[in-house]
Amino acid sequence: MATTTLTPVATRSRSALYAWLTTTDHKKIGILYVINSFIFFFIGGLLALGVRTELAQPGLQFVTAAAYNEMFTMHATFMIFLFVIPMLAGFGNYIVPLQIGAPDMAFPRINALSFWMLPLGGILLLLSFVTGGSAAAGWTSYAPLSEDRALAATGTGQDLWIVALVLIGTSSILGAINFLVTMFKMRAPGMTLFRMPIMVWTVLVTSVLVLMATPVITSALIMLFIDRNYGGAFFDPSRGGDAILYQNIFWFYSHPAVYVMVLPAMGMVSEILPVFSRKPLFGYKAFIFATAAIGALGFSVWAHHMFTTGAVYLPFFSIMTFLIAVPTGVKMFNWVFTMWGGQIMLKTPLLFALGFLSMFLIGGINGAFSASVPVDFALHDTYWVVAHLHYVLFGGSVFGIMGGFYYWFPKMTGRMMNETVGKTQFVLMFIGFNLTFFPMHELGLLGMPRRIADYSSTAGWNDLNLLATFGGFTIAASMGLFLWNVFLSLRSGAVAGDDPWEANTLEWATTSPPPAYNFDHLPEIRSERPVFDARHGRAVVDH
Amino acid sequence: MSSSPRSRSSQTAIFALAIGAAIIGLSLILLYFGVNVLNAGGQFVSGLYPPIAVTAEGAKIRDLYTVVFIIAVVIFLLVEGLIILSVIRYRRKPTDTELPPQIHGNNIAEFVWTIVPTILVIFMFIVSWQTLNAVDVSSPTAQTKIRAVAGQFQWQFEYLAEDGTTVLYTENIPLVSAGGGMMVPAGRTVQLQLFVSPKDVIHAFYVPQFLFKRDVVPGRTTAFDFTVDAADAGQTFRGQCAELCGVGHYTMLFEVKALTGEEFDTWLAGKVAQANATPSPAPSGAPGQSGAPGASGGPGASGGPAPSGGGETLQISAQNIAYEQSSLTTKAGAPFHIEFDNKDAGTPHNVAIHKDSTTGQEVFRGEIFPGVAIKTYDVPALDAGNYVFECTVHPSMTGTLTVQ
Repeated sequence: MATTTLTPVATRSRSALYAWLTTTDHKKIGILYVINSFIFFFIGGLLALGVRTELAQPGLQFVTAAAYNEMFTMHATFMIFLFVIPMLAGFGNYIVPLQIGAPDMAFPRINALSFWMLPLGGILLLLSFVTGGSAAAGWTSYAPLSEDRALAATGTGQDLWIVALVLIGTSSILGAINFLVTMFKMRAPGMTLFRMPIMVWTVLVTSVLVLMATPVITSALIMLFIDRNYGGAFFDPSRGGDAILYQNIFWFYSHPAVYVMVLPAMGMVSEILPVFSRKPLFGYKAFIFATAAIGALGFSVWAHHMFTTGAVYLPFFSIMTFLIAVPTGVKMFNWVFTMWGGQIMLKTPLLFALGFLSMFLIGGINGAFSASVPVDFALHDTYWVVAHLHYVLFGGSVFGIMGGFYYWFPKMTGRMMNETVGKTQFVLMFIGFNLTFFPMHELGLLGMPRRIADYSSTAGWNDLNLLATFGGFTIAASMGLFLWNVFLSLRSGAVAGDDPWEANTLEWATTSPPPAYNFDHLPEIRSERPVFDARHGRAVVDH
Repeated sequence: MSSSPRSRSSQTAIFALAIGAAIIGLSLILLYFGVNVLNAGGQFVSGLYPPIAVTAEGAKIRDLYTVVFIIAVVIFLLVEGLIILSVIRYRRKPTDTELPPQIHGNNIAEFVWTIVPTILVIFMFIVSWQTLNAVDVSSPTAQTKIRAVAGQFQWQFEYLAEDGTTVLYTENIPLVSAGGGMMVPAGRTVQLQLFVSPKDVIHAFYVPQFLFKRDVVPGRTTAFDFTVDAADAGQTFRGQCAELCGVGHYTMLFEVKALTGEEFDTWLAGKVAQANATPSPAPSGAPGQSGAPGASGGPGASGGPAPSGGGETLQISAQNIAYEQSSLTTKAGAPFHIEFDNKDAGTPHNVAIHKDSTTGQEVFRGEIFPGVAIKTYDVPALDAGNYVFECTVHPSMTGTLTVQ
């Protein structure tokens, strides 16, 4: 008996830090994902501020051209691979088991493994700054610039970049398998597929995309690594390789990756809008089919990034790109008519969801310009495209993530976030975002190409660039407010209780934060809104 | 505001009035500070429009842009209007204790907003495809054939004979303001071939006022046609590499100057005669033959074959699109030599000397030649003063020369 009482004491003497480092609880892993992603969001954000500072005025004042190329390359790399994708995977990790009434993910240890690959990949990328310069060939790392070319300024950093991306990709693949097995095998009794919350559905489709696309980019990265280090010639035209081949393989992953980065954010918005409108999601099944359609069509549009190469069959990729607007439009109308006739409460999560709707609307519509091949000839690789992708990935994904953060923060921590600071942050972020990225449409039309360290003072781009830089620092200020709000709310936020928003889905049927293994008992699951049903009874469900 | 419950319509009306008042107030404030609101608004709207196209193809693309733009604006106003309207109209009021009607969807609505956008995007696809077939062409019968040769980080323009392969004349200087540039005959269809050495990287030929760009891909030769409007003769258009190609990407500028047909013929004949008169180095290779992106002597190059006479010899070297010396000093009133070491393999450089600043009068221009090579320039005597030296091909390469 003496030995059995000693063991817990020994365990307790280990620090709380050790518990977090060794956890296999999906909720703790989810929070680790979120924290890790925010760290890289702020690193990527600093790099973006560096880019905007350099571009504020014509002339190279702030950094050298080589350092500038490193900054925008690593900005995009951090934001895409270490912020948006893992952030959404982190929310999925936290939310999905709760929303389907499961005690944990199907493979908790693999779940921990797929998380810990991310900081490792991030450290490799950060190391490249002190080992002779990071990758500088753009986040796309097009061959042959990313091959061992003179004047490309890509040394060891490019190799570290490749290794880090393979690691992060492996993490994504493991996570996707884990999500799919969890969803198909661990749903609570009564939780049929067509009662799963939309958030879960979007993670499901995302996981399928990751599983099908990520191995493909891994192959491209390995080929590039062989080209660079072991005398391969896959993508080197001077030795019989093909430069366009790299682009085809790269975008076969990286276009579906855009949906990986936006579908779960759509899922978050689809959770927030019904709760704060006090109505069910309009067209639940249509929404699921639209999500699946976006996922399927997402695999047939990759070459719209390559219209100007003169090496793709243009009409096919043009029509497919246009068609993907249809399911996206279906979603947009469903969101709007979820609010229509409701009782809308303008809380911070809803403000960010509304920001998502408005900004993603612009990002979707200006995508139609690029789908039109001749118009794309004018706009491709200009600041127009920079505007477009930020309206999708910042106006879309980041606004969605912020909404989701404010929405689920009470569940994760047991405390409410400050509404006043939250609303101020939204207003500042919304204004700053549009000041930064809307002028980029005009810059692109005026002919300013992407990825240039400097521009002529007579090109007519001065005012718009200064405006965009001003907007960039406004966004930074809004992020300062965000951090302050997190700090404030963790320390002295109002106690949330189980269900502060009067929400619909199962995560609100347990305590905040939920106990280990999530549920003591589950409400009956007879629709996609089990907690709503438990609160109001079945009578109001069928109208 | 009192907390007494108001009817939904009066609350909505107050909200709308407040927004309207805010817009009018803001406009009045701007007017007070001398901002012409209508003018600024007009500029903002016209800024969402591409520049006026100077080619026939660009004009068609601009027309297509108009179609897409109108549809985009209508859809944006419709959906954004619905979002704003629903937020204003359906705000929760203190009296809202009962749940609103729990509507789960409507199949007819889903059908309508699936079918209507489908028809709309298929329409946009068809008009785009029609324009594509009109603008993405390359005809072997074009009267003027030019080949743009890209390389890290400069453009060269080769004027081709009717067979489309024989090089008549090579222009090494990409900017009109530096005495070079790409000359095109306005009113005639030009076939532009794009070429880059397989040992180089991807570039893109982009002229914003053409509303067109095309990648220059190692290992592939592509071509497209364009016709500058006859009315635009005499104008110069800015161009730039649009595909990240390394540290000097932002310096890869060029200019296109439109001449009238006769001016172009005279200009080209003069250049060809000049090139034939001087013992020019081998013309640049045809696509797929030569490794380096063109290698030929520039026009108007001064400097003899070997240094002659006495005088000081300055050492200047260039590597990675930069001079390795930032400032040099020499004596006034005496001719001197510059031994220029171009260490950038395949990349053409030279040394040109300007009075005071890079925009000042050019007092000397050395021959442009690709590396790796060393040449010695004979520079005439200069008056005392401050000068700058720069590479004519890469205006970002500069240094100062003090003559005392």
